[in-house]
Amino acid sequence: MPEWVTPLVAPFILLNAVIGLVTYVTLLERKFAARMQSRIGPYRVGPHGLLQPIADAIKLMMKEDVVPTAADRPVYNLAPVVFLIPCMLIFATIPFAPGLGVADLNIGVLFFLAVSAMEIVGLFMAGWGSNNKYALLSAMRAVNQVISYDLPFIFAALTPVLLAGSLRMSDIAAAQQGLWFIFYPVIGQLAFIAFIVATVASENRAPFDILEAESELVAGFRVEYSGMKFAIIQLGEYAHVIGASFLGALLFLGAWAGPGPEWAGPIWFLIKAMLVFLLITWVRWSFVRIRVDQILALSWKALMPATLVLLIATAVVVVWRGHAGV
Amino acid sequence: MTGEALAFWGLAVILVGSALAVVLTKNLFHAVLWLALALTGTAGVFLLLDAEFLAAVQLLLYAGGIVTIVVFAIVVTERLVGERISQTSRRIAAGAIVAAGILAAVVSAVMERPLALERPPMESDLTQIIGETVMTRFVLPFELLAVLMLAGLMGAIYFARPDD
Repeated sequence: MPEWVTPLVAPFILLNAVIGLVTYVTLLERKFAARMQSRIGPYRVGPHGLLQPIADAIKLMMKEDVVPTAADRPVYNLAPVVFLIPCMLIFATIPFAPGLGVADLNIGVLFFLAVSAMEIVGLFMAGWGSNNKYALLSAMRAVNQVISYDLPFIFAALTPVLLAGSLRMSDIAAAQQGLWFIFYPVIGQLAFIAFIVATVASENRAPFDILEAESELVAGFRVEYSGMKFAIIQLGEYAHVIGASFLGALLFLGAWAGPGPEWAGPIWFLIKAMLVFLLITWVRWSFVRIRVDQILALSWKALMPATLVLLIATAVVVVWRGHAGV
Repeated sequence: MTGEALAFWGLAVILVGSALAVVLTKNLFHAVLWLALALTGTAGVFLLLDAEFLAAVQLLLYAGGIVTIVVFAIVVTERLVGERISQTSRRIAAGAIVAAGILAAVVSAVMERPLALERPPMESDLTQIIGETVMTRFVLPFELLAVLMLAGLMGAIYFARPDD
């Protein structure tokens, strides 16, 4: 195979795999939520509702594309794409097994954090471009929330980076071959909890979904979107959650480490990422939505100082032990 | 033309085009979006120069920064003034003269001491080197910056404080 083929083919395969995964993760979430509420969930389309995501996708593609008359047209039309690109780009640096990834950058974690923060630009474009007061309110809340939760998210994600002594994703995974960082005494568990809270908040999921808030803001920034554009926004949102789940599995759960032959590594990684995803889903379906001021207070008064202290404590431990790694 | 040159000229067109759009477009919100594109293009230039760390920081800081600008420049001022503010280009001649002067200064500086065409060999882990130099050689400016930021924060709190 010539050398230039891999950079072209690998992203193509990954992109399609992510889209397929995202499609079926929606079914997983619906089934999981249904079981938590003593329901069955989607069941009619295909055996056990297995064809439901495909039916949903086809339905969304067939829908009429409605553009509000007063919308800022170029911004409104571009917003879903601008929203989707960072959500897909975050998968670029994740290695799914030793040497199996698109780009194993030496600043992998930083790249992930930087690109995933770009999501807010597309979101604000959608909220503003719709020219709808609910959408704009939702976008404003999103900005508040993202600014508040970016820092705790980064601090929590930096704790494993300090422990591993590298920003490269594969190095962090390799550093956990002996002991997963979630089992690192005290620091690991606290950082994982902070990471989950910050992830739930930065993914705008309940109890932090004030920007969606269906009872007051209808559906927030995507209220004016329909058909394929709505599908793209949904796709981006789920891809972002899945990406964060993979990051959590990589930073804390040892990525591809697990029993069995080496080729089982990616499967272990997928299982762990799905576990993180189900944890986020579990939180989502268990708690009620909290108020805006409570969300901001939680970030600035509790999570932010806590993660900062945790980060400093981790640095002290690493210096005291004289080397990174477990 | 090599791939690198192609990427450079592509980025250059995007950068200059979006930067021009920032100042020429009337709609303030569109101007901010063009600014976001220009800043992302700058990150692309950093990537092209093998400065991945700078590129990531550029994205990280400006993604949040951009939306904050939007909120403050448009949503908040609109509420204060009570009308939609559009961007105007008054004193365009004076601005052009100043810009031309700066361009001339930069070009003459570059012409006087031409930049090396060969890229110096990059050290293996740039991130580590940045971290070490910031904490040793440049620790004083680094700490001064922190003080400056603190002053900025306190000033913001002072202005945001409700009148008694």
